[in-house]
Amino acid sequence: MGKLTNFKRSLWVFHASGGSCNACDIEIVAVLTPRYDAERFGIKLVGSPRHADVLLVTGAIPRDFADKLRRIYEQMPDPKAVVVIGNCGTTGGVFYDSYNIAGPIDEIIPVDVYVPGCPPRPEAIIDGIVKAWLKIERLEKELEGKEK
Amino acid sequence: MSFTLTTPSGFWNPLLWLLFLALFGIIAYLIYSRGNPSYKKDTEQIKPYLSGNPEPTKEKVQVKAGDIYWGFIEALKGYYKVLQAIHTGDMRDYILWYLGIGAIITFILIGGV
Repeated sequence: MGKLTNFKRSLWVFHASGGSCNACDIEIVAVLTPRYDAERFGIKLVGSPRHADVLLVTGAIPRDFADKLRRIYEQMPDPKAVVVIGNCGTTGGVFYDSYNIAGPIDEIIPVDVYVPGCPPRPEAIIDGIVKAWLKIERLEKELEGKEK
Repeated sequence: MSFTLTTPSGFWNPLLWLLFLALFGIIAYLIYSRGNPSYKKDTEQIKPYLSGNPEPTKEKVQVKAGDIYWGFIEALKGYYKVLQAIHTGDMRDYILWYLGIGAIITFILIGGV
């Protein structure tokens, strides 16, 4: 695993739940609550994608939600990363090829990290967030390079 | 030459005022420069977050002065519909109403005599 080199700011996360059954969502909450306590590292959920560095998406995305998810992604400032939590968002899971599902998520927005599982364990989610963090650091360096 | 204007409630000095204006301008610029320079203009990044819904047009979200009476007008819709139909804007219609109602009142008052 790569080494985190850039702690210029805390990683803020926006959670978009698209038709999720709440299992993945509750595991995300478990990541933030005292047992795993990702908030120690400044990783916290925010209420608006405009404040977020990472977009967490759970659930198989229904057709009605697809354009909203796209808009949420577009509203995030650069650099940004998308983490898909759970099988539903990753492949469609048990809802694969359903008539009312627009997903998998990578067919709607670009995805950087997949965390499979039904639901994935909090350790796996934290690992996914760390991978997203590394990606953001790389993107940030690229952006800085462009500015220079 | 003194630029200071002294009044019973204090003093006013335009040079001092300009100095403070410059100072606050610098503070404002410092705050502004801490912002995110990488945002893209004319994209969704500058639009408000409304749970992923598109932003409605200004006309749709504007609260008009007439909206203050909305509940009142909505509750008495039937009455207002008739009243608005009567208000043609034609003076001859109003004179006709005036004469008609006047005739009815006259009939009630002296018609029975």
